[in-house]
Amino acid sequence: MNWIGLYTLLRREVERTFSVVIQTLVAPAVSAALYLFIFGTVIGSRIGDFAEVPFITFVFPGVLLLSVINASFACASSGLYFMRFSRSIEELLIAPLSYFEMLIGFVGSAVIRALIVGGLIVVVGMFFGAITLVAPIAFILYVIAIAAIFALLGIIVALWAENFEQLQVLNTFIITPLTYLGGIFYSITFLPPLAVIITQLNPFFYFADGIRSSMIGYSEANTAIGLFVIFGLLVGLGVLVGSLFKRGWKIRA
Amino acid sequence: MLEIKNLTKVYGAGKNKLVAVDTISLMVERGSFFGLLGPNGAGKSTTIHCITGIAEPTSGQILIDGLDVVKDYKLARSKVGLSSQEFNTNIFNTPEQLMDYMGGYYGLKKDERKRRIDALIKRFDLEKHRSVIFQKLSGGLKRRAMLGRALVHQPDLLILDEPTAGVDVAQRKDLWEYLKELNAQGTTIILTSHYLEEIEYLCNEIAIINHGRIVAEGTKAEFIQGGKSVEERYLEIISNENIPLTQ
Repeated sequence: MNWIGLYTLLRREVERTFSVVIQTLVAPAVSAALYLFIFGTVIGSRIGDFAEVPFITFVFPGVLLLSVINASFACASSGLYFMRFSRSIEELLIAPLSYFEMLIGFVGSAVIRALIVGGLIVVVGMFFGAITLVAPIAFILYVIAIAAIFALLGIIVALWAENFEQLQVLNTFIITPLTYLGGIFYSITFLPPLAVIITQLNPFFYFADGIRSSMIGYSEANTAIGLFVIFGLLVGLGVLVGSLFKRGWKIRA
Repeated sequence: MLEIKNLTKVYGAGKNKLVAVDTISLMVERGSFFGLLGPNGAGKSTTIHCITGIAEPTSGQILIDGLDVVKDYKLARSKVGLSSQEFNTNIFNTPEQLMDYMGGYYGLKKDERKRRIDALIKRFDLEKHRSVIFQKLSGGLKRRAMLGRALVHQPDLLILDEPTAGVDVAQRKDLWEYLKELNAQGTTIILTSHYLEEIEYLCNEIAIINHGRIVAEGTKAEFIQGGKSVEERYLEIISNENIPLTQ
């Protein structure tokens, strides 16, 4: 294992995150503060408590999930696509790094960015008094697993995209709608029966529910199904991206 | 040092099929300064890409110190340094960062990287520009930064694809002396260049590639026999590929 090479790949991506802090850290914090103010403070004050916690506390895991997903996906997709676009990917191709090390490097750096952003959002949540944490280890594992899933999706999009517009396609037409319709800002008990069934088919519902249950101890999904969905996506996408790297799809001529 | 056996590289398929390199074989001995010549699109860069891992050979085998570049790719790549024809780097990084990241990818520890980077920055006269982003550097400075990146891990085999394009005459001459020095210290060098006086001055072995095939190969002495320059011989061979190298 080329540990120094892997560390360098991670370090480079973290340095990239800190070289554009307004885009990578400040913007998600501002968005989270706005979500918490509108959904938590303004609307939440009319709703009162839900699931035995203030509505802002119920909503916070969804706000956090949204930020983690965006941070991880953007880091992996923009980082790798820019490397393809500028051909600086060749720096990695000629280096003694294995496909597995490249995979760990790209996913790891996206997870690190997601954790940094997530930490920042938790700090914002503290200002709004929206934080409770009933299962810290499960919480961290959920955040890491979900960030890794979206890092892998970001890599696939970065490999597939032929221009900057295509880079946004998955995010705009799949990730964003499924995120908002996955119960991140509401309980499925607010929905009509058919919408509940549809929501239960949405994997994002299990992401939100996992984080929410580890934070406030309230769950609306079957935990076993949730873990199966998360673990299945992680393994399935990991194998797919590993094989794409090994084949050198769109990166090796 | 480097052995290429029946290397073929095909891009695309069907109507778009392009045979960029067609069953070429080459042997580059350890310590040699090898010039790879050919017109644009002849297959020089593709050959280099196959050696370094940027492209995957369609068939054939490439060995670096006996290590297969496909099967033993990690070990094989650790022996090679590449300065590409294109500026294939992050244009927002500084020369120091380029060398630092590359040294890291090659497994150099922090202290060793710093020592190598300081030495290369001094050697290539980049002190004033070490923290300037690549995009803002002149063409010559960019070339020197790319060379520094290729040399940071002290490769056994240095591949230079048009390393002096855009470099002024004085700097080019200075670079020639540096490359001679490196070669004398034992680094095997493969050089492609359209400046044939550069090839004539530096290289002791030369191969010409055209339409993806090696059309001539030999020592510099064989190329320039009969009082001809490398350039005259090159033009003669390219204009009539059937003329054998030694008559």
